[in-house]
Amino acid sequence: MTSFAYYPGCTLYTKSKNLDLCARETAQILGVELKELETWNCCGAIFSTVTDDIANQVAPIRNLIEAQKISNKLVTLCAACYNVLKRSNLYLAKAGNETYRKRLMNFLDTEYNGKTEVVHYLETLKYDIGFDNVKAKVVKSLNGLKVASYYGCLMVRPSEELKFDDPDNPVMMDDLFAALGATPVDFPFKGECCGGYILVDKPEVATKCAQTVIENMAASGAECVATTCPLCQYNIDNQQKMMSKQYNLPIFYFTQLLGLALGIDEKILNLNNHFIDPKPLLKQKGLLQ
Amino acid sequence: MKSEKKRIGVFVCHCGINIAGVVNVPEVVKRLKETTDAAVVIDHQYCCSDPGQNLIKETIQKEKLDGAVIACCSPTLHENTFRKTAARAGINPYNCEIANIREQCSWVTEDKEKATDKAAKIIKTLIKKVQYDEPLTPISIPVTRKALVIGGGVAGIQAALDIANTGYPVILLEKNPSIGGKMSMLSETFPTLDCSQCILTPKMVEAKQHPNITLMTYSEIDSVSGYIGNFKVKVRQKARYVDWDKCTGCDICVGKCPKKVSDEFNCGLSERKVVYKMFPQSVPNRVVIDAPNCLYIQKGACRLCEKHCPFNAIKWNDKDEIKELEVGAIVLATGYELLDKQRLGPYGFGKLKNVVDGLQFERILSASGPFMGEVKRPSDGKVPERIVFVQCAGSRDPENAMAYCSKICCMYTAKQAILYKHRVHQGEAVVFYIDVRTGGKGFEEFYKRATDEGILYIRGKVSKIFEKGDKVIVWGADTITGKKVEVEADLVVLATAMVPAAEKSFAQLMKLTQDEYGWFTEAHPKLRPVETLAGGFFLAGASQGPKDIPEAVSQASGAASKVIILFASDTLEHAPVIAGVDEDLCSGCGVCIDVCPYKAREIQVKEDGKKKTVKVIEVLCEGCGACSAACPVGAAQQKNFKDKQIEDMVKVGLE
Amino acid sequence: MIIDETIKKDIEELSGQKLSDCYQCGECTAGCPTAFAMEPVPSQSIRLLQLGKYSELLESAGIWLCAACNVCGERCPRGVDYGKIADACRTIVLRNKVTHITLEKVDKKFILDAPQQAFIAAFRKFTT
Repeated sequence: MTSFAYYPGCTLYTKSKNLDLCARETAQILGVELKELETWNCCGAIFSTVTDDIANQVAPIRNLIEAQKISNKLVTLCAACYNVLKRSNLYLAKAGNETYRKRLMNFLDTEYNGKTEVVHYLETLKYDIGFDNVKAKVVKSLNGLKVASYYGCLMVRPSEELKFDDPDNPVMMDDLFAALGATPVDFPFKGECCGGYILVDKPEVATKCAQTVIENMAASGAECVATTCPLCQYNIDNQQKMMSKQYNLPIFYFTQLLGLALGIDEKILNLNNHFIDPKPLLKQKGLLQ
Repeated sequence: MKSEKKRIGVFVCHCGINIAGVVNVPEVVKRLKETTDAAVVIDHQYCCSDPGQNLIKETIQKEKLDGAVIACCSPTLHENTFRKTAARAGINPYNCEIANIREQCSWVTEDKEKATDKAAKIIKTLIKKVQYDEPLTPISIPVTRKALVIGGGVAGIQAALDIANTGYPVILLEKNPSIGGKMSMLSETFPTLDCSQCILTPKMVEAKQHPNITLMTYSEIDSVSGYIGNFKVKVRQKARYVDWDKCTGCDICVGKCPKKVSDEFNCGLSERKVVYKMFPQSVPNRVVIDAPNCLYIQKGACRLCEKHCPFNAIKWNDKDEIKELEVGAIVLATGYELLDKQRLGPYGFGKLKNVVDGLQFERILSASGPFMGEVKRPSDGKVPERIVFVQCAGSRDPENAMAYCSKICCMYTAKQAILYKHRVHQGEAVVFYIDVRTGGKGFEEFYKRATDEGILYIRGKVSKIFEKGDKVIVWGADTITGKKVEVEADLVVLATAMVPAAEKSFAQLMKLTQDEYGWFTEAHPKLRPVETLAGGFFLAGASQGPKDIPEAVSQASGAASKVIILFASDTLEHAPVIAGVDEDLCSGCGVCIDVCPYKAREIQVKEDGKKKTVKVIEVLCEGCGACSAACPVGAAQQKNFKDKQIEDMVKVGLE
Repeated sequence: MIIDETIKKDIEELSGQKLSDCYQCGECTAGCPTAFAMEPVPSQSIRLLQLGKYSELLESAGIWLCAACNVCGERCPRGVDYGKIADACRTIVLRNKVTHITLEKVDKKFILDAPQQAFIAAFRKFTT
């Protein structure tokens, strides 16, 4: 079994357990082991673009060094971790940043020059496992489920750095759901921002951003939404109660829908951890008893 | 090769204070008199002035000189001037050389002492060079007084007419079945609002009927060889499957053809038949069969066109024909295309039906367009109640598309908005812009007219366009009030960037240079805007950069006049400072052939049929010296830059 | 806060952006998800810096409303990233020991519900 270093990150250990557990379980089924880093620390949750910000780069880089003990590839799951770790890594290794790198190394025990490749679990599914092989393991086709794949900001921008997918029309998650038998719903706000990062400071602004996104998803005929980001999940799920119009749109992590299709235990799917209850929809579609 | 010692005169120019301010000229004169064998050394305030040139001429004659060194500015400025002076004085102009003591000496230092030393050294090396210089005579080349104009848009038509009216034959080549180009697709033209077709069609007909113009439509360039005055061009005339000598353009076949495909002339907004005429006013007024879509050619069925043609003009066995042309000059009028909307992701990747580009909207406005001039939108044929015009869609955008301003969009957007308001009185037109650029006769007044007619201009670039129900939502900004603006539209028109139509491979075929975007590069951006660095090629219209119709037409006339100047004489002169081959030394290894950038060298087999040597095609050689540097045995020698000559010059320079 | 002309250099260095590259097309504002509530909006913020009105921007509410979504930088025709400029401006304020939020201000229920990611990011972005 191929194993890759795996970085869960802070939120996935607590409030977004379902995102994490479903990923580990599905990887197992698909013949890949996500091997958690022996020790890890928070990535910082937001990439600091300030050019001299050594302090905020130490934490993510320490994780990348730790990953080297397992593999050259580090699999991430949370969109924020993916964004922060990948960009910190690129900034350190960027041509012309050698002085910065040396200064940063003063705060770390092990010499490091950017060798760890940061990937997202979606990329593992697509490139290492292959969507065809995922499809072959489907035990419960998501037939007829109209899913809006919501990528948000952190997966697709800055595209020049992340090179994850087209920033104006990402399709990687859509392709996965097509492989799982679902009907991907195209909508123009796949990469629009839900405002999550200002939720603490300006919740009313964040809620309005989220509502714009939800409205667009609902108008496109989606029955549910899949995301990779705990903050998006929270913001467009829990915040629906704050919205002037009720959309009642269940918000999944993409790994939950993957897990459902691959037939993992309902306990691991953790479908009770949602503000908008997804169970009625799944029952209606015959995907849940 | 060194003959008797020449009597050389040295003329040191002060160039006002340009040289004399740094170089101690009297000191230079003194040193040259003391340390060289120059027959005369004189200085003058401005050698290039009339008195200066007279002094040089008189001194050469009086002192019976047979060589001259003028120590002055760069040879690119006055080499020609002084060589003419030398010729007037009766010596071979190629025995007059320039010692550049301005750009390469006085202008690059403030150290007077070092500058004086360097000036003296530069002059000494040139004295040495003149000692070796041979008398040379310019090479004479015959000129074929016949022109090829590539591209049958308004620029190509104009260039062809101008050349033809001077009496020279012209071939006007067009890749489409009809001439007319982009202008034939336009509705009305800014700022006068005359009907585009109405002013263009007479010119198209004139070109067709002109006794000196041969139209070659539905044809493309296969290859180009030769050089200025003597090009050989192979043209591929595509199979039309219709005998144009018999076809009258009656269109009966078009009516009978059962298959429809997307109509390029209407930018995909309607369909045409497989046997088709590009547009009703096509010149020549003939039909062609679109072979890849023809039911008979592809599947052996149908043949309805043949059955109904009253003139028996359908020709199933038609084939591409290669025609060989000999011409003396080539005018490139290859024009432009619009940037593919697929490249504009935030504007919907060209996938949104009710987001059209400028040319599509021209077709929508056109009386002969897909909706017969009624303004309707493509998705459902509804009359749009509000149209948003988005300027700079891919222009002025070095990060995502084209860095340049496409120049015509401000005016055509104003025109399109005005025309829309004329057709749909209650309609609302909103224009998003960064700057409205109205540099042109009557342009600013036309912009004023647009705002007078109630068109709302919002200063800000659009960030995102998406569909919501049957509407199109535009996210823009009004930078003046600092507000984000959302506009719900029925139709959006993108003023997409103009991009060159000529592909890289085409330019390579011609050995012409293009800028980073693919526009042809002119010889000099200000003083030689219609010429290219390759002799015999001239630029007309938007092949060189974004242009509106009057500019394209004037540039076409400019290009035509350059062709006519070339044709004024039946020969032209080529500078003789070129490479030669010492056939006794040459082993025919061919290294020089590979390095020659001008394809001016070829292998020849000597008369005895054994020894192979390299021959220089003199008219092609530009005298760059690459061959003489590459030749392993010293057989390739550049006239007046021979190895020994350069060696001795270097020695003098290092003394 | 003490402002002097060296602040332009600071902002350009910390953000890695060249202020004079901005030609005020407004595309950043047009695509900004929080522009409806932002004052001044991204394009006007850059304009203030171009005019040397640094304190006006540093004391504004606008720089704190950036959601770090990167749309502005992604689409800017001149390659200017307002998000990075806002990050630099906030950093200058915070390094002057002026904090933007405090824990006391945050709703307790919210702390229990929302993902850690939200708090970590907020406290990194908004506190000294």
